[in-house]
Order: sequence, then structure tokens, then C-alpha cells
Amino acid sequence: MNPLRWLVGRFPTLALARRNLSRATLRSALAVAAVVIGVVAIGAIGTGGEAFKQDQLEAYEGFGGTATVEPDVQFEDGNLTNTELSDGDIGRLRQATPSATVLPVHEPVGATVQTQAGTLLFMARVKGLENPGEFYEARNGTISDNWRRTIVIGSRVAEQNDLQPGDRLRVNVTDEFDRSFEIAAVLEPQGFSAPLGADQTVFVPASEFESDGYEQAIVRVDTTTGSIDEATQAIEREFNAREQVVRVEQVQEQREQFEAFFGTVNQFLIGVGAISLLVAAVTIANTMLMAAIERESEIGVLRAYGYPKRAVVSLLVAESTILGAVGAAIGAPLALGIGMAINQLLLGDPLAFTAAGLRYVGIGIAFGIVTALIAGLYPAWKAANKRPVEALD
Amino acid sequence: MTPDPDEDGFDAGTLGETIATDPIIRGTDVVKEYETGGQIVRALKGVDFSIAPADFVAVVGPSGSGKSTLLNLLGLLDVATSGEVRLRGEDVSTFTDREQTRKRKETIGFVFQSFYLIPTLTALENVEMPRMLDRTPTKTRERATQLLERVGLGDRLDHYPDELSGGQKQRVAIARSLINDPDILLADEPTGNLDRDTGDQILELFDELRSDENVAVVTVTHDDYVAEAADRVVTLIDGRIRDTESRRANFEEGPDP
Repeated sequence: MNPLRWLVGRFPTLALARRNLSRATLRSALAVAAVVIGVVAIGAIGTGGEAFKQDQLEAYEGFGGTATVEPDVQFEDGNLTNTELSDGDIGRLRQATPSATVLPVHEPVGATVQTQAGTLLFMARVKGLENPGEFYEARNGTISDNWRRTIVIGSRVAEQNDLQPGDRLRVNVTDEFDRSFEIAAVLEPQGFSAPLGADQTVFVPASEFESDGYEQAIVRVDTTTGSIDEATQAIEREFNAREQVVRVEQVQEQREQFEAFFGTVNQFLIGVGAISLLVAAVTIANTMLMAAIERESEIGVLRAYGYPKRAVVSLLVAESTILGAVGAAIGAPLALGIGMAINQLLLGDPLAFTAAGLRYVGIGIAFGIVTALIAGLYPAWKAANKRPVEALD
Repeated sequence: MTPDPDEDGFDAGTLGETIATDPIIRGTDVVKEYETGGQIVRALKGVDFSIAPADFVAVVGPSGSGKSTLLNLLGLLDVATSGEVRLRGEDVSTFTDREQTRKRKETIGFVFQSFYLIPTLTALENVEMPRMLDRTPTKTRERATQLLERVGLGDRLDHYPDELSGGQKQRVAIARSLINDPDILLADEPTGNLDRDTGDQILELFDELRSDENVAVVTVTHDDYVAEAADRVVTLIDGRIRDTESRRANFEEGPDP
């Protein structure tokens, strides 16, 4: 007896179910397609979302032990007040956190960036910083420690305008300067949630700014010797004892907020993906109901020949479960393939799956099979409970 | 309610003569009613029957006379509204669905008028079908092959139903009905689709089954030829047995050689 025969003998229900499905090939294929879509939706959204999250979280690396301090801008009598940190404020920050490094950031309003040809870079923001090399790696070019008179640009600024180190940009900051700079370096991509929005930024050396107003300060503690929590508390005590003057946020907190926010978004998207599986369940239930009606007399014959109700239920549920399993078997590699493409795109490595990402593929497979099984239950129950006498008429 | 057997002047007939052997299935004053569209239809109005091993009974009668209903009751596919049906002494109305299904499998072989072969299964697999869940594939296969050879289809084992003629399908259906070694074979128009030669083969097969394996054959038929071969012919009219013609002929009391 060949192995196939043996299998048929061992698992007759599965063998019968498979053949029954082959009777209405197109109908079975459509039901499978519905499951494939659901499994791919859940799997691809899950792995893709995880890859996206990884990509974004990379931006926070190197920002451990870092907090941002911003003035708590007030709107009073039609005017904005408390819009910047003064040199004095920076001095107080340094006093309050003696072990920390305080880096003031210029984020001027009314700054414009133009190419040599005169094209305005609408999306680019201008920030003045003493040494971006402390936080960022250069993708092209170098960021010198003694950085002056050149600029460093974010990856998106470079990509969108096809800029390389050695090109020049004209930067105009109202009341400060209007001159052309050579690009010294293009930064590694940081993701949209990077603490300084680096991808869209043109970094100008702080020395170019004459004003003593800063829109932001970065407070950095060497976490091996100090604690960013203590520094944060010290700043709160110094500035916010009576009223809220500055807002202090640890980058770590931002990261957690981002993660939490992203988790919610991803769950929502996966919920949307799950709806497609619900549609698949309806399709399968419909397929099975039709099959049960079509084969009513045949099922009656099975019952007449001594197949118990349970066997008829098993047979039809096996059919619907096979539809789900085949759909999952096709959908899972597709979802992984899409995940690999997204990994390559965002993380530069097609195999950079996280455990959480792979779990979503697993969830997709399990959901696909289980929904199919459940969708088959009612038609199967209905078919099994039809009295053979009626079915055979 | 108990029907009055004499309500319209006819005696409730009987299928069974006094037979030495214990009957496999016996019905007493069996009434079967259906409800269709709010109306109660009385398909059987109090019949008695008794089928013993190796009987060959032909049930004849016009359509709507209750033949199929009687066959369904004999096949344990349905239960009587009143009266009593006993399978080997057990009241079938006390069976659960599961018991009924099991007894059916052990006792009854069906040959349906329109065969009801499963189109996705080969002739051999169709014959195996009633035993497919028994997990004895080798034994089942041997038996199925043997049965198909016996009905003259040894060379058609791997043909699908749509590759078989009507007569061949009929013979597959008969082979299938025998796979569980039934005590009673219920055949609805067993020769209806066959030419005379093939019909003869089927009837010979019935005789063989009766003499070799004590299988009782109950058939509903319009074919006088089949009726003539039976040792009892029961005429059903309007839910009552009108006439029982007993031949008690051929094999049992045949002249010794």
C-alpha cells in the first residue's frame, strides 16, 4: 500500500474533505483567497508595523540619559510670552545640574533655506547646535569636533533635494544671518519621531547665532555617573517651583510615549486586518452552506450507511478548516515576503524580524485557521441534523 | 391514537407468514403520519410486517401507496408514529439517534433508486465508503474489491461514477450496500436501470446472498420480473396491505438434486 493510500486510510475524513473541496474548485479557491487576504493583512501589518517601530526607535538610541527643556510658551492678551530660554536661563540650568551637559538649541522662526539655484526648501527646518556629532552619525561626509562655518543636513533634506557633502545651501535667519554654507555631512536617517526631528533639519553651528535666546535646551547626563531623573527633578525645582516656566521631558519618556502610541495604532490596524478575516469567515460559511445544500442527498446517504452525526460534522468542518489552512499556508509566506520588503526598506536587512513581528504572522495563521473552523461549524451542524429521510427524498 | 384496522373495511394485512426462524425486524400495526403544510398525511395506516433471514420480499403498489415510507421504517431511517417496530426484539422507538445509526450500519444495506454514488470517489472507494471511518483500510479494500468482482466490475475498480453506465452504477451501489455484511438489503427499484441480462445477474446475486449469507432482500419495484422472482409479493395500496402472495419457492424448499 503506497503512503498516500495509507494516509487516506488513516485520515479518511481529511481525504474525503479534500476531494469534496476539489469538486467546486473555483468556489474553494475564492474562499481560500479570502483567508489569504486576511492572513496577509494581519501578518504584513504586524511585521511591517514592528519594522516601522524598530526604525523609529533607533532614533532614540544615543539619547539615553537625555532630556529636553523647553520654555512653557504662554498665550496672553494676543501675545506669545515666555517663548525662549535666555543665556541666564541656560546658566541656571547648568547650575541646577552641575554633572550634566547643557546644550542650547536655536530654533529660529522665520528661517529659510534655498539651494544655489534659488529653490526654496519648504520642509527644511533650521536649528543651531554646538555639536550634532554628539547625537548623530554622519552617513556621508564628516562632522568635525571643531565645527564652524559649514552645515550638517538631515537625510530627508538631502534625499528630497539631491544634496551631497560639498554642495552649498543658502540659509537666511531673520535678524541673524543670510549666507551660503557648504554641506559638511549628511546624517543617518533618524525617523520622524527623532527628538530633534533631525531628518528634516539643516543644522547650523550655534556660533553663527548672535542672539542669546534659545527655543530649546538639551540636558545630558552620563548615565554611568549620574541620573537623568535627578537632573529632571533639579530643573523642575529650579524653574517650576511657583509656576510652570519650562517643560522638561526625558527622551526616554518620549520613547515610551511613542511606543505606547504606536502600539495603539498598530493594534487598530491589525483590528482592520482582522475584519478582513471576518469577511473571510462569512465567505467560508457561505461556501460551506452551499456545499451542504448541494450535497444534502449525499450526506443523507452517509447517514443512511451509518455515519454518525459527529462524522458528518467532522467532514464538513474538516473541509472548512482545510480552506483556512490552505489560505494560511499561502498567506503566511506572502506576509513574510511583504515583511521582508518592509524590513529591507526601513531597516536595511530583510531578515530583521522581531519576535513581536513574527508573532503577528503566527496570529494571522492561527486566526485564519480558527475562523475557518468556526465558520464551518454551523453549516456542518445543520447538515448533520438533517434527517436522512428528508435528505434522500 | 390507535388506528382502527377495520375503519374502511379492510383487514390490516401482513407481510409475514409464520416462519420458523426469528424475524430480523417485525412491525405490528404500524402507522406513519407526516405533516406537510399543516396537513397530516397518513402514509401507513396500520400494517404488520415481518422479515426473516433469507426472505425475498417484493413490495409493489402505485406511487403514494406508502412503499417508500415502509422502506424507510424498515431501514431505521424513520420511526413509526404509532404501532411497534422491533429489531431483533428491541423496540426501535427507544433507540437514540446514535444507536439507530449504529444498528443501521450493522443491519441494513441500502440500494437507492438513484444510486447516490459519490462523484469524487472511484467505484472501489464508493464501495468502501460505509466503512471508511473504521480504520481498517486493508480489510475494507479487500472486501470491496471482492464485492465489485462479484458484481462483475472487477475491471472497473478505479473508474469514477461518471465513467460508468447506469447498470454499472447500480451494481456499484449494490456492492456498496453489502460492504457492512447487512442482514437486510433494502433495494429501491434494483433493476430499474438495467437490461434484462444485467437484471438477471442482480437477481442471481440476490439469490446467492440469500443462500450463502442468509441476507434478506426487500425490494420496492414496478418490475413484474423482479416480483416474480420474489418469494413474497406484498401489494400496498393507500397505506394498507391489500394482498400478500406467497410463493415460498425456489431455494429453501427446492427439490433436492
